[in-house]
Amino acid sequence: MRGEPPMRIRANARGSFDVDLPEEERELLALLPGRMLSALEVLANPDSIVPDELRRLFPPAYPTDVSAEDAYVRLARQDLLDHHREALMVLRDSAEVTHLDSQGINAWLTALTDLRLMLGSILGITEDGIELEPSDPSYYNWICYHYLSQLQHEIVTVLSEQLPPLKSEASERLPDDPWGEPLGGLRWDGTPRPELT
Amino acid sequence: MNNVNVARAKTIEVAPDTEQSPESREHVSFDRPWLVIVWNDPINLMSYVTFVFQKLFGYSLEKATKLMRDVHEKGRAVVATGSRERAELDVARLHRHGLWATMEQSG
Repeated sequence: MRGEPPMRIRANARGSFDVDLPEEERELLALLPGRMLSALEVLANPDSIVPDELRRLFPPAYPTDVSAEDAYVRLARQDLLDHHREALMVLRDSAEVTHLDSQGINAWLTALTDLRLMLGSILGITEDGIELEPSDPSYYNWICYHYLSQLQHEIVTVLSEQLPPLKSEASERLPDDPWGEPLGGLRWDGTPRPELT
Repeated sequence: MNNVNVARAKTIEVAPDTEQSPESREHVSFDRPWLVIVWNDPINLMSYVTFVFQKLFGYSLEKATKLMRDVHEKGRAVVATGSRERAELDVARLHRHGLWATMEQSG
């Protein structure tokens, strides 16, 4: 019987995290943020339009209220941009380390999430997924996307075990499905799935 | 890292309305809570979405998993409610975690 594979990212007794990854994975983790940091540069101008490949990282708060959304963007955009950039730089600059503190491991998780959102947007990931042949020009992105998925899941598994105790009042105050019947068939941006229209 | 502070001063001006009873005034628009909504997502992992709900809102694994499944199966789920300022802060926190979150007033 096969046991569980050894955990490559582990919480240690010192309150930090041991990172045991092969060299080729570290090289990839040091390389991938650069492309995204370059793509984010266009957003240094606060009036710039978010490119399609980055749209998932800058969702609207008020999708049906233009003036409220403009105010939200003015307040939150720069902070959100800084948050993404800082996490990507942490991943790029710490890809070789064997120990990460809590801030570092959370920055890795943010950066992996951001990279997956950008690659997933470029690849056109849907609920149905896609399968590519090695000869496809997107195959490299596809491999990277799945690698990042695996590493993100490993970090989520470790960090889930570090969550603080439950807030006793937190779970019971939500309205239970305020729209009544299950909606179904909606995509992430609230529009119907094409096959249902 | 910078802290997000998107809470806004709320200015509410209510015109005198002598025709409304005290009961009906309880239902004017600024009293209705705001809903924080997370939308269906083909990219973020289910385990990650569940983890974010636990981390940000202190939900149990069971509650967070149910909300994640509602998002996945119904298209969206309300993950928090409260004042406009609170909802906007929660939306900003969800955006920092890469989730597609919006807000709208209930009712």
